[in-house]
Amino acid sequence: MDVTRREFLKTSAAAATATAAGITVPAAALAQSKEAEADVQWDKSVCRFCGTGCGIMVGTRDGRIVATKGDPDAPVNKGLNCIKGYFNGKIGYGKDRLTRPLMRMKDGKFDKQGKFQAVSWEQAFDEMEKQFKQTYQEMGPHGVAIFGSGQYTIPEGYVSAKLMKAGFRSNNIDPNARHCMASAVVGFIQTFGIDEPAGNYDDIEHTDTVVTWGANMAECHPILWARVSDRRLTNDNVRLVNLTTMSNQTSDIADTEIIFKPGTDLAIQNYLLREIIRRDAVNQAFVDKHCVFATGPYDIGYGMRATDKFCYDAEKDIQAKELKVTLDKDEAIAQRRKAGEVVEQKNTRKPVKHWMIGFEDFKKGVEPYTLDFVAEMSRGDPDEDLETYKGKLKALADLYVDQNRKVTSFWTMGFNQHYRGSWVNEQIYAIHLLLGKQCMPGNGAFSLTGQPSACGTAREVGTFAHRLPADLVVFNPKHRAFSEDLWKVPARTLNPKVGSHITKIMRDLEDGSVKWAWVQVNNPFQATANANHWIEAARNMDNFIVVSDPYPTVSAKVADLILPTAMIFEKWGLYGNAERRTQAWRQQVAPPGEAMGDVWQGLEFAKRFKLKEVWGEHKVPGLKAEGFEDGKLPSVLAEAEKMGYSPEDTLYDVLFANAENRKVKWPDKSVAKGHANHIAEKLGDGWFPEKALFDEYRQFGVGHAHDLAEFDVYYGDDVRGLKWPVVDGKETQWRFNEKYDPYCAKGSGFDFYGKALKALPSGDLDKVTRAEKTSLAGKAKIFFRPYAAPPEKPDDNYDLWLNTGRVLEHWHTGTMTRRVPELHRAVPTAVIFMHPDDASKRGLQRKDVAWLESRRGKIKAVVETQGRNRMPRGYTFVPFFDEGVFVNKLCLDVTCPMSKETDFKKAAVKVYKA
Amino acid sequence: MVAELGQMDAIDVHHIDAATGRIVITQEAETISDEVDGLKRIRALPGIILAEMSYHNFEDDTELLQGIPAELEGEDLDSIKVPGFLNE
Repeated sequence: MDVTRREFLKTSAAAATATAAGITVPAAALAQSKEAEADVQWDKSVCRFCGTGCGIMVGTRDGRIVATKGDPDAPVNKGLNCIKGYFNGKIGYGKDRLTRPLMRMKDGKFDKQGKFQAVSWEQAFDEMEKQFKQTYQEMGPHGVAIFGSGQYTIPEGYVSAKLMKAGFRSNNIDPNARHCMASAVVGFIQTFGIDEPAGNYDDIEHTDTVVTWGANMAECHPILWARVSDRRLTNDNVRLVNLTTMSNQTSDIADTEIIFKPGTDLAIQNYLLREIIRRDAVNQAFVDKHCVFATGPYDIGYGMRATDKFCYDAEKDIQAKELKVTLDKDEAIAQRRKAGEVVEQKNTRKPVKHWMIGFEDFKKGVEPYTLDFVAEMSRGDPDEDLETYKGKLKALADLYVDQNRKVTSFWTMGFNQHYRGSWVNEQIYAIHLLLGKQCMPGNGAFSLTGQPSACGTAREVGTFAHRLPADLVVFNPKHRAFSEDLWKVPARTLNPKVGSHITKIMRDLEDGSVKWAWVQVNNPFQATANANHWIEAARNMDNFIVVSDPYPTVSAKVADLILPTAMIFEKWGLYGNAERRTQAWRQQVAPPGEAMGDVWQGLEFAKRFKLKEVWGEHKVPGLKAEGFEDGKLPSVLAEAEKMGYSPEDTLYDVLFANAENRKVKWPDKSVAKGHANHIAEKLGDGWFPEKALFDEYRQFGVGHAHDLAEFDVYYGDDVRGLKWPVVDGKETQWRFNEKYDPYCAKGSGFDFYGKALKALPSGDLDKVTRAEKTSLAGKAKIFFRPYAAPPEKPDDNYDLWLNTGRVLEHWHTGTMTRRVPELHRAVPTAVIFMHPDDASKRGLQRKDVAWLESRRGKIKAVVETQGRNRMPRGYTFVPFFDEGVFVNKLCLDVTCPMSKETDFKKAAVKVYKA
Repeated sequence: MVAELGQMDAIDVHHIDAATGRIVITQEAETISDEVDGLKRIRALPGIILAEMSYHNFEDDTELLQGIPAELEGEDLDSIKVPGFLNE
């Protein structure tokens, strides 16, 4: 590059950045900037990584990405990037990018024990189809499964969900988003009757108080944290409180850091609820008009299997707690029982059931949570003075109850990945609702999301084992009928039996009840807790595992067939971020080699199934639903013929490239603007699948408070995503607040109009006393949930806590960020963060290699006693991005029994010199 | 602080907004790890509250296509279509 070009580019980059930062730039610099970029094609796009949903501009030249910049017009990030976002342009260019299908072969044909060899797409699909049909005939729809994703584009998730649910009549599709925000979803549905946050990121600039609960925003949501920091530093009145189990980078700028013991966030929340009442800070008018009180059973287990048949010997003591729990001292006080009492877990099958209670009962429930009780049980740092810690809890209560103060609470995996994840989610709303500080600019509890389209795809499209699009569920006959109608498939095509959640699909592989699985846009064999079991199951059981992946990940390594897959800027797509903002991008460059997008893979596979092969009668063990014979899905072929379908039609013709969708033409004249579409072009039958399928999908939500705009709108030059519901072309800023949300009833002020679970029986803290249901339309629920102890805690043998999570530089399992050599070098391996005293007690020093062992396995890693995470004594933290330090082999696969989301944050381990 | 920034290697200060305390700089580096280190140095300067990246040009970056994760180094690169370790 010559000097002039270099100078040109620098001036140009500086001018673009200054404009983004709101700094006036001389006209000459701007002109020069334009000139420097003259040969680069810029187009708007979205970051590939977390749920923040930053806008980025992607610059291409001669079919290659040559530059990226934070999109100055994007309201989310206003031109900034975090370090991962900065490297978006490079994630597709890793040297080990997969460019051809690879299958395990021996003597020229598939063999599960064979070695990977390159095959054609035709051969790959042939084997995949053969294996699928064999399992499907033998075991029925529940013998097959898809591991889906919160990183699916909206059309990708829609293709997979529709193919599975309406085509194969199976609900065994569940995303890695289950591991990430399922507890948040249960919190939303239980409290508001509708999924996703009321507020948006602008709450940051409106609020006076930011409280982070189990969210290391500085590392995991850096751009939002930049906005929070900016707010704090430009406003003396603003206060930040970080509730965490270790001292992290979010603590660095916080006014108060509260280090609590794992699991006791539940008790701290109850302390706050008790304080709100004790200090007479209940917003009575708001609560009377808009809320009811509720509770549910406590004996709900921990989401483990009821049998120890598959346990290693060391696991059996923890597994036994699924059936019976002996209450410890704190739990006993918190639940108004006696320490040592053995409680049989009777409600493991129906953990979500709940009933209304009166305010007096609610008060009685939170009464034991005094400052003394909660402080003593929850103090996380043994070196912190108890009185100092008490002062911090009191100060936290002061901030929440202050009438003149707005409060925004943020949380991520600390709440969600929790053995009582749904409860802690419900209780944060309880705090905000009791104070009347919810659904207003700057006031509200806001669930942050970890993946770029956990909201937009996994949740909104409904790629879960129990969901259909727009908050509909498979076990509701009306929802099924609505979906069957919209999808133009016969009545009773959809299967009413909830499928397996993602951890259960792993368990199903282990016990042989799933024998065919397809991994899409995720890396479950690295990302699922207790991984030794699942890797063994994948390799040693009689099954066939397909993995669609751009890179040779852990999941690809355990697969039988690997499909080379296009990455974000190589395809068209839309993502939905954590603030309900749907954003779109075009294909920027062609995928390398024979790699193809997931939409194409799904559609091609659909071509291989005729209606007569999938819409006949099927056995479904355990199916029990009104209108269905027990254990059976009926044949719907006769009905299909009445609707004009032939048994010889393929799923591709019926579900996807049907007459309606074929009207949406490719090449596209409205939004393509010269960009290619490798999927439409490869299909070659003249339709535009992403657009046709998005516009079909959006019909689920229009008029049902989930309104999305039409496909083309999101591609408008001036549009940087829109927050749904989009009504009359306008996005919605704060939901449930009449001033902003067109779905609120006139004159209501606030209207919690979500429809799910809005008629309840009544009772007291322990049981239902009146079975008759009362409607609570328009209202939100304030739950009482008691403290419950974690099922696994440090003991004499496994004497340290293990927490896992992210680092700034890497995203999830590192499959993309580790391909950017510079990010890889910045943080090459995961380390064991621990307290220097804990290290020296074990004869270890910083940089020593140590074994880390739990009941479920052991791994080696380097000890780190300094750096960005400062651990209290008794705690370790290991990031999960590094397949070489495979920490999920150690994690416990306990889940919140309601959400089925795994608790990756609380296991007991021992550390010793390697 | 601006003077300190100006003295750092390969860093140019382009725009300063006194009212908000915002400063726009560019930095040049041979490799992106140097770039990342540079950002860390900037963050470590007294008076710097936040430093984030915004605009990234890598049109001449050849390392892009050469870099491979450490665990793959030493692999026979001709076998990249079937990464060697997949068959271990």
